[in-house]
Amino acid sequence: MTSLIRVEPRGHAGSWVRFGVPALALLFALALGGGILAIAGNNPFEAYRTMFDASLNGWSAMSRTLALATPLILTGLAAAVAFQMRVYNIGGEGQLYLGAIAASWVGLYLPETTPMVLMLGAMLIAGALAGAFWALLAAIPKAYFNADEIITTLMLNFVALSLMNYLIFGSQSFWRDPRRPVPGGKRLPENAILPSLSGRLHFGIIIAVVAAVVLWWILRRTSWGFQIRTIGDSPRAASYAGMSVKLKTLGVLAVSGALAAIAGVSEVSGVSKGLEPRAIATEIGFTGIIIAVVARSNPLGVVPVAVFLAAIATAGSRLQSIGIAVEVVFLLQGLIFLTVTAGEFFVSNRVRFERTAEAEQPGDSSPTTELPAGAT
Amino acid sequence: MTTEPIHLEVRSITKSFYGVAAIDSVDFDLRGGEIHGLLGENGAGKSTLCSVLSGLYRPDSGSVSIDGHELQFRSPQDAASAGIGMVYQHFRLVDSFTVAQNIVLGLRKGQRPKSIRQVETMVSDLADEYGLHVDPTAPIWQLSVGEQQRVEILKQLFRGAKILILDEPTAVLAPQETDRLFEAVETMVAKEHAVVLVSHKMAETMANTDRITVLQRGRNAGSVRTGDTGPADVARMMFGDAKAAERTTIAGPDEVGDPVLTLSNVSVLADKGMTAVDDVSLTVRRGEVVGIAGVAGNGQRELQEAIAGLRPTTSGTIDINGTDCTSTGPKGTMRAGLAYVPEDRLGVGLAPGLPLEHNIALKNHDRAPHSRKGILSTSSIEETTNRLVEDFDVRGNRKGMRVSLMSGGNLQKAILARELTEAHDVLLAAAPTRGLDMAAAAAVRTHIINERADDRGVLVFSEDLDEVIHMSDVVLVMFKGRIVGRFVRDEIDVDRIGLLMTGSQDEEAPADASEASIVLADRVDNERPAAETPPSTIAGAAS
Amino acid sequence: MNDSLLVLSIASAVVASTPILFAALGEIIANRSGVMNLGVEGMMLVGAVVGFWAGNETGSLTLALLAGGFGGAGLALIHALLAVTLRVDQTVSGLSLVIVGGGFSSFIGTSGEPSLLSAPNAVDVVPFFPEALRDLPAVGPILFGHDVVVYLGVVAVIAATWILNRTPSGLSLRAVGEDPAAADAAGIPVVRMRYLATAIGGIGAGIGGAYLTIAIVGTWQNGLTAGIGWIAVALVILAGWRPWLALIGALAFGGLNGLGFTLQLAQVDVPSDFLKMMPFIAAYLVVIAVSGNPARARRLAAPAALAQPYAREAR
Ligand SMILES: Nc1ncnc2c1ncn2[C@@H]1O[C@H](COP(=O)(O)OP(=O)(O)O)[C@@H](O)[C@H]1O
Ligand SMILES: [Mg+2]
Repeated sequence: MTSLIRVEPRGHAGSWVRFGVPALALLFALALGGGILAIAGNNPFEAYRTMFDASLNGWSAMSRTLALATPLILTGLAAAVAFQMRVYNIGGEGQLYLGAIAASWVGLYLPETTPMVLMLGAMLIAGALAGAFWALLAAIPKAYFNADEIITTLMLNFVALSLMNYLIFGSQSFWRDPRRPVPGGKRLPENAILPSLSGRLHFGIIIAVVAAVVLWWILRRTSWGFQIRTIGDSPRAASYAGMSVKLKTLGVLAVSGALAAIAGVSEVSGVSKGLEPRAIATEIGFTGIIIAVVARSNPLGVVPVAVFLAAIATAGSRLQSIGIAVEVVFLLQGLIFLTVTAGEFFVSNRVRFERTAEAEQPGDSSPTTELPAGAT
Repeated sequence: MTTEPIHLEVRSITKSFYGVAAIDSVDFDLRGGEIHGLLGENGAGKSTLCSVLSGLYRPDSGSVSIDGHELQFRSPQDAASAGIGMVYQHFRLVDSFTVAQNIVLGLRKGQRPKSIRQVETMVSDLADEYGLHVDPTAPIWQLSVGEQQRVEILKQLFRGAKILILDEPTAVLAPQETDRLFEAVETMVAKEHAVVLVSHKMAETMANTDRITVLQRGRNAGSVRTGDTGPADVARMMFGDAKAAERTTIAGPDEVGDPVLTLSNVSVLADKGMTAVDDVSLTVRRGEVVGIAGVAGNGQRELQEAIAGLRPTTSGTIDINGTDCTSTGPKGTMRAGLAYVPEDRLGVGLAPGLPLEHNIALKNHDRAPHSRKGILSTSSIEETTNRLVEDFDVRGNRKGMRVSLMSGGNLQKAILARELTEAHDVLLAAAPTRGLDMAAAAAVRTHIINERADDRGVLVFSEDLDEVIHMSDVVLVMFKGRIVGRFVRDEIDVDRIGLLMTGSQDEEAPADASEASIVLADRVDNERPAAETPPSTIAGAAS
Repeated sequence: MNDSLLVLSIASAVVASTPILFAALGEIIANRSGVMNLGVEGMMLVGAVVGFWAGNETGSLTLALLAGGFGGAGLALIHALLAVTLRVDQTVSGLSLVIVGGGFSSFIGTSGEPSLLSAPNAVDVVPFFPEALRDLPAVGPILFGHDVVVYLGVVAVIAATWILNRTPSGLSLRAVGEDPAAADAAGIPVVRMRYLATAIGGIGAGIGGAYLTIAIVGTWQNGLTAGIGWIAVALVILAGWRPWLALIGALAFGGLNGLGFTLQLAQVDVPSDFLKMMPFIAAYLVVIAVSGNPARARRLAAPAALAQPYAREAR
């Protein structure tokens, strides 16, 4: 009886496997990307060198990367918290726009004399509420009609994008600066701008990292987090234990929407300094989904993964100087997503190659198999 | 020309899961014209062996041959072509398709009748021939479990199976349905078919087979002619020399107390919108075990869920210990004092992907000492877990391991540990021993019966009639969503319960009852000691 | 009469519905086998870029559509590998296709020398019916004024309905999507079926994408599907996994897409950004309405094993 490949579910994956496999997957994605670059007639090694120099080599490169990582951490957290309950919030993009719209409104509306802390606080709260509201537009139908949240959150992205475009390009709205010849947003006053830490890097990174730690703690150490994780594993067991799946769906999506929206606040307040659709609509929300998947929905894992993807994105613009289209960034991100997703299989299963089954004695496999002795 | 009856030989088949052998070097052989019992307790490896024969599982090693030709099955299709047909323990029918569609599903061009009409007539003819009546145009989901089983058998016969493997066919049937099944089996054997009858019930196997092969913990413990062997020997083969758990002696209740669970005229809908529970009233008192007998699918699950607050009622009231819990939801029933061991352990009773600690704290994680002001105390949860693991003898856990990797018996003990250590007045237990091996089942039964001694009320549902009778002070029979019979401990009439389970009217009872009673008496008398007393006493009981 | 507002807008809706229809039909086939592929948007983009490139190289509509179908199928097979063989979460795998497809198509579309971005459309898309029919009042432009692909869409609907409901292969396909364990026990090769159905889904999306760029947009632009793939995914739910209803739904969405054009002609002033929102708001509302519908007939139509991986020896 010959069977060449034998697949067995892993009883219990050690941390070596849980972190090693995604790391290998990342490398594999880079190799694949290199292959595609080579086929397209570029030198992959030169490309990766250039990318490394542009995004990670030295403090100024690093600060650019971290600046880009700021919103990515937040959208990554947004996707991760929903994934923990196995709800798919694909609407980070739209929630981010709503956060940007609301925060810039507050920044422009409140008097310029408002103390900075109050101003920024009000912008954060307004943005978060707007994002939560946008997410609830999908959460309520999900909780009460079981309407597929993937579709609804996604549809709302397109609506939010058109809304934002309308405010700046399609109308003379409160947000639009009438004096500029090319349509653009009014500039926020100084007290509505997140302080810079170094170059482009601004205070937002601190908000993002703190958010990651707090979210981790909430999920692990509070009864709310306990319930979220239970529902994520088995909604039926959760109902059986008396947890309200409906309310948690609303809660989790609201939190998720708020986090994505804070990314939008951070972008208008720390980077574009006004509502600038072209600067904001760069798939930050979507990239958050990749980040959450690669980080296996762990908030603490989101931070390094976001930095890594930010590094790739930062490097993109530099690649043009050696004749490679910026779009390679999206290709690489997609490949990473793909290989890490595929890697999930190797985390939960053990794959062995063997020549013949006869060569394997029953006792053979037990040392490597992590099954409890009591299993019958 | 006379054709030799088909001859199947299995030589030292081994099949492991997660590196643990479910069956280990098992030999087995089978000839046309015989009914061959495959006997062994839960987890002995019977289903695994059958699935290897049906081409579903690929064995690690060993060989299967038919009439001297060695065969390698790569898929169920290969096994079917070799004439092996299997009726799985969990039926493999597409619910939304009709009987006829299921029967022709997957047949190749040459094997397939031209039109579905033609199939329907062929199925009807076949059904007449074997006495397995079903409506070929009905969709599967409308059929009872017994009818679905007939469809499975017809499907295999339609495909020309010479060897028919029935995996635990009687587990889902009422006693009278079982008799009809065995009549059909006799017809098959008369046509030189070979039938493998899988069971974990000794009496039934001894009564209906020509030969028996016993599996014990994945190994072949021997094959014997049924007529030449006494129950004591078979029991020894099944259980080895291991001491079986003592049969818990159950005295009747000393004194029955106040009602702790009262249902008045409760009706409940099923998922598909039909009435599943129809005007049910019942009372469970302190110090009393009420058992509900019935064939699966007669509204038991819906009734359990309604009592637990997981499914809305359409009418009637549910009162737990003086609190009206008709529409309070699961939290309300828990607070009122209901402990609930659900039918589906993994998925409802437990969150399968999370560790044991998490599951132990599932219901009380939001209360002191496990959490204060919404913040969890992981150390307190861990402490509770360690204590319960010790007290209830839950084995096989490792830190951080997903609970689904533990065995069924340990999972059930973990659920009981959680439910019984919380303050409660009434226990609702559904199919509490299904699929457990003897030792684990006995431990579970002991826990449940001890509830009565602690002056609590118990409502237990089980498809295993013997178990219900064994544990209960009052037996209720459920059929098509109604309670159709009530028997107090000393008046229990097994024949009538059996008839009521299949919906026979009381007027009809006398006609079949005499015959049925023989079979049933046999079942009860032999079966229970077999399952629950050490082998040595069985000989005495049977002789 | 023939250039009356109503006639023109219906005719444009018919054309605009075609890419949605092909994508949705493909997705219906994949779903019916139990595979949920959310990557339609990505597969359409790859189909579009490959189709546009092939059209440019050959000038042939047939070859362009074939190439588009291949492109979409290629990406779909990656999904099949992930979802069927490796049994990863189908939602995640589908989303990864969206990102890979988007990245790959813009990379390819931007990279060539000269890049496809600046390439003109080399394929002539001609009406299928003779002029005499096309000039008929009203019905001419609406029914007979289109290219062959539009009619192929209707043929595909008929074929899909017939195969799914009337043939043994269709029965097997549905069985795999309803209950793979039962299908397996009945001797149906579950994995092969699912790969095949997923690939057909990719072909549908790829053809839709190629048609979109060649016959409707007329040039290649990065991300030119702009959410049409997602509309197709939503449409499958609204149509209750039935090809005929998908046809009707696609026409409705096509109409919404062309609404701006119609309103412009009617000289109604609605900001274009709001017009762009329309199909998405409609899809959002209809998905909710369908889910909230207490008549269960629709929900029962969802394949019972949709998005559930199958492994023969797993419990
Ligand atoms: N698909 C499977 N995956 C993992 N373990 C299995 C599987 N099937 C059976 N087992 C294990 O193999 C042993 C024998 O099971 P089974 O053949 O179902 O026993 P029986 O039918 O005699 O009750 C049990 O310990 C069971 O847990
Ligand atoms: Mg079994």
